[in-house]
Amino acid sequence: MTDRGVHAAALASLPRAGARRLHRLLAGRDPAQVWDAVGRGLIPAQCGDEDLRASWRRHAAVFDLDGLASALDRLDAWVTTPLDAAHPARLTDDIDPAPVIFRRGSLPAPAGPTAAIVGTRRCSPTGRSFSAELGAGLAAAGVSVVSGLALGVDGAAHRGALSAAGAPPVGVVGSGLDVVYPRGNADLWEAVATAGGLITEAPLGAEPEAWRFPARNRLLAALADVVVVVESKEAGGSMHTVEQAIRRGVTVMAVPGSVRNPAAAGANRLISEGCPPACSVADVLVALGFAAEARPADPSVPPADPDLPASAGPAPLGRGVAPASSGSASASAGPALVPAALSELQRRVLDAVDDEPVTLDRLVVRVGAAPPEVLVAADVLVTQGLLDRDGGKLVRAGP
Amino acid sequence: MLAAIRSATLVGVWGHPVSVEVHVASGLPAFTVVGLPDASCREARDRVRAAIASTGLEWPMRRITVNLAPGDLPKAGTGLDLAIATGVLAASGQLGDAPVERFGVIGELGLDGSARPVPGVLPLVDAVGGGEVVVAAADYPVARLVAADRVRPVATLRELCDALTEAAPWPDPPPITPAPPPVPEPDLADLSGQPFARWALEVAAAGAHHLLLVGPPGAGKTMLARRLVGLLPDLDPDAALEVTRVHSAAGLALPSGGLVTRPPFRAPHHSASMASLIGGGSGRVRPGEASAATGGVLFLDELGEFAPSVLDALRQPLEEGVVRVARAQGVVEHPARFLLVAAMNPCPCGMGGEIGCRCSPSALARYQRRLSGPFVDRLDMVVHVDRPEPTDLLGGRAAAGTAEVADRVARVRALARSRGVAHNSGLDGPVLQQHAPLEPPAQEVLRAALAEGRLSARGLRRVRAVARTVRDLDDAGPELRVTDVMAALSLRARRDSFGGRIRG
Repeated sequence: MTDRGVHAAALASLPRAGARRLHRLLAGRDPAQVWDAVGRGLIPAQCGDEDLRASWRRHAAVFDLDGLASALDRLDAWVTTPLDAAHPARLTDDIDPAPVIFRRGSLPAPAGPTAAIVGTRRCSPTGRSFSAELGAGLAAAGVSVVSGLALGVDGAAHRGALSAAGAPPVGVVGSGLDVVYPRGNADLWEAVATAGGLITEAPLGAEPEAWRFPARNRLLAALADVVVVVESKEAGGSMHTVEQAIRRGVTVMAVPGSVRNPAAAGANRLISEGCPPACSVADVLVALGFAAEARPADPSVPPADPDLPASAGPAPLGRGVAPASSGSASASAGPALVPAALSELQRRVLDAVDDEPVTLDRLVVRVGAAPPEVLVAADVLVTQGLLDRDGGKLVRAGP
Repeated sequence: MLAAIRSATLVGVWGHPVSVEVHVASGLPAFTVVGLPDASCREARDRVRAAIASTGLEWPMRRITVNLAPGDLPKAGTGLDLAIATGVLAASGQLGDAPVERFGVIGELGLDGSARPVPGVLPLVDAVGGGEVVVAAADYPVARLVAADRVRPVATLRELCDALTEAAPWPDPPPITPAPPPVPEPDLADLSGQPFARWALEVAAAGAHHLLLVGPPGAGKTMLARRLVGLLPDLDPDAALEVTRVHSAAGLALPSGGLVTRPPFRAPHHSASMASLIGGGSGRVRPGEASAATGGVLFLDELGEFAPSVLDALRQPLEEGVVRVARAQGVVEHPARFLLVAAMNPCPCGMGGEIGCRCSPSALARYQRRLSGPFVDRLDMVVHVDRPEPTDLLGGRAAAGTAEVADRVARVRALARSRGVAHNSGLDGPVLQQHAPLEPPAQEVLRAALAEGRLSARGLRRVRAVARTVRDLDDAGPELRVTDVMAALSLRARRDSFGGRIRG
């Protein structure tokens, strides 16, 4: 067998070769032998009907193994099956095992504790910054951050983890390793592959089709010691990951959000259904079984999200972070952050914005000043990095 | 026997003089119309013949040739009927030595000999030129706007013949029915909350700045837009005549007094074609909705659903205030000085990331790409509206009604007139420099925005004009303060203005 696992890769590239069929096909055998057998038409009947078996045989007869091997070489990707020592045991022993995985990066398998951080692609600025904060804090504490490299929460978690340069991050993706998706996260894709690893079941060239994501979510759940939902709508991919985690008995935590933040509705419902809330990095560490003393000594996590302006001063770990309560957040966080130079009106405008995105209309009502004055005050606050624009609305800038 | 009657035909919204020459000669009975008549014009033959017979006059059983000069200009519509009939009667000697050449004649004929109104009578009467003009009685209110006491309204062909042969005096003009009390436009006082959107509406009305409202369904975008036209002052006499001309040519219903005095409000559906919005059509170039909205408001609801090519075609009128429709035969220019008010949802499903938004980031990006950069650059203000909260509705200060806001708008418009333009968005070049000077810090803000690439040269001009209006609405001081400029600047569209939470 070649060192990159080209036979396993070829088997996974067969038409309609899903995880279950591959599992039955491999049945603990060496992929090279199995590939040989497929070429000779010796395919177990439980793998599929006659047509499928015939098509596999035809496929194998003309398959360009060398081309695949060089493609794997170019990507620096490799493929493992349960026979390989490097195949994550969690995926072998899973209730829904993954018989063939494609991977990039040096990481043999997530060693040590892992935490999956999942959430909506369309998160609020608060969700984004908290996700990055979680990613950074967990990585610094030696927890591998597992996430989906999607836009929004997933990407922010990985960016946070990378910024902390702690435990290696793991990206579990739904497309082939040579199909970067989403394109906007191409830089992140490379960075995670370099610093940690990428894992997927999809063969090379597989497009990110919708049906691949539920399978991806199951890998996420299988690889995680704890799943943290940062922001999720009531229905969505994150909720599917949660279901998969529950099936496997993996702890699910949710980050509480403002009741007015639609992106947090799913996470809030999880809490009301009994999920422990994740209000800080420390909460997640405790759930992972870290003793209180074992928390990382360094309290200052670097500003996690390069997209967001740095806040004034270090963000202490475990600080009750914004989504918890909008009212107290603006009251307590406000004075510490506000430079003295703010005018009285600007201060009033700042106080009137909480974590829930607010329109200028509402802001004018709350502040009670003339619309153009409020408009300009809000503009100044955005320039100073105290407020963020969210579409047409304003929201408090993340820490 | 030959007779020539002066009349006119429509080219776009403009009239073009036409000489209707009728030749009656011996030969086999025939009736031909030459000179590029279109279908409706060629059918004049049958209407004219029947009308002359119904009037009790004689149809000459001879060879009749009608030439519509100039012969290379396509003639459209039915407005030449009355002139052709008059020419046939004159050429066959039935009008004696009546001085028909003194009169311009415009009107359609019914088979019973009645004179019917025609679309575009105002530009037609204008084009016929000096001397008396005969029009259908129903067209009198409009025709008198340009020809005053030179208009001779007739109800039937018989009345026209009798007056020409001096068998009877010209009929009295029909009484002008006084305009009914104006249908009350929706009042701004109906809206509670939304103080910012109301202010933006006031700025848009005061300075004629183009406005885009973005918000989920039910946020009141359409309600706001419909109230904008009520804030605009009455049309001044020149503008009123221009609007009446366009509406007349477009065949739109005119008020009973003839003159359109209130700014029009046009709200074409988002399925509008290029020709319907810009003008065009086969045969005669008709004015589109953009021209019908001249002097008033063009409201494009569901902006994101309009065909991108149609929206981009609005760029010329937004910039120059005219639409030029080029044809192989020549270019027709229509006025299109409208205030654009548009409304759109933040995303295809309308929820813009709120609970229940089902739009994927790529769908969102696709939706936002429907508006081209150059089109967005011509929008002066982008305002986000949301459904008002119940507490906002109750806690807001008593909202000003349309009358109160319209007063302030009129004041700002008066200031603009003192600067030599109809409204502040017309300020440009040296006039802008003179009337919208910048305080040094304001200059700094604009320089920074230019340096960042946030502003185009056009954007700079528009920001200054909007800032001028903001200051005019406040205290009308001479210089633009930094706050005025910042307000104008942040009202402008940004890349992320349309709902978008598209970030990696």
